[in-house]
Amino acid sequence: MALYIVEADCISCGDCEPVCPTQSITEGPIVFKIDKRTCTECEGDFDVPQCVKVCPIDNCILPLEA
Amino acid sequence: MSQNALSRELALRIGLAARALPDTDAKRLLTVLGSCIAAPMTESKVAAIDLATLKNANHGTFAKVDDSVLQQALHILKNTAPQKILPDVQAYQEGDLPNSVRIACGSDDAIHVNGHFGACAWFMVYQVNSEEARLVDIRTAEIPQGLVVDDKNAFRAEQIQDCKVLYVASVGGPAAAKIVKLGIHPMKLAQVESLADIIAQLQQVMAATPPPWLAKAMGIAASDRFKFEREAVG
Repeated sequence: MALYIVEADCISCGDCEPVCPTQSITEGPIVFKIDKRTCTECEGDFDVPQCVKVCPIDNCILPLEA
Repeated sequence: MSQNALSRELALRIGLAARALPDTDAKRLLTVLGSCIAAPMTESKVAAIDLATLKNANHGTFAKVDDSVLQQALHILKNTAPQKILPDVQAYQEGDLPNSVRIACGSDDAIHVNGHFGACAWFMVYQVNSEEARLVDIRTAEIPQGLVVDDKNAFRAEQIQDCKVLYVASVGGPAAAKIVKLGIHPMKLAQVESLADIIAQLQQVMAATPPPWLAKAMGIAASDRFKFEREAVG
């Protein structure tokens, strides 16, 4: 279980990077990306995924279909 | 836009400013202005001339003219006089400019992006692609008399709802959130720049490698974008 950032919608604002409790978000060559190996969807840390909470764009960070 | 020819608005401003000065025609004022700034003469360069520069320019042509008169002429040149000169809106039909985006620029003088989102006199609305830019509308975003609006900033954002990008000199946090909510990408400039410069910068980005969200707004198919992304990664 992990989240991913929709490349076509991300505006590279960087708001999500500091709020990630597992430091899974980094700036990629195009836009920001989430490391699916370490992303926990904030399970155990917060009730809701923090990146989704702060992202200014709707439906930009979505759950990865495993 | 030609590099050497004056824009119609600038020519008009110079003509009106010359009339405000004693014994001065447009040609005389043009000579003086030309001695203050490096060619080519642009609206933003002329607008940057201050009182002392104008007074001493061209070996003191206007040295004996009263300061208040010179100030009035400068107001006309900077388009801050009560009677403002606005450029004409150009015709545009859907599909005229392929791969274009619509942008809005908050401005108080129709020369620079110098407006605060919540208070600027106009939103200059342009349709821009990598080769051409057309001024398609000038919107005031004034709330019409008698209309009660709960949220001024939301109302202003709705006036430019058809735009994808908004350039302003400043915008507050909550207002920016309302702009983003409507699908507009707000851009706060680090310093005041001329409308022409901003459009040229955007065109450069559009012609080179637009970020994915901008490519999407330009209507470039995802498959074409993918190609660009692979190049960028490699």
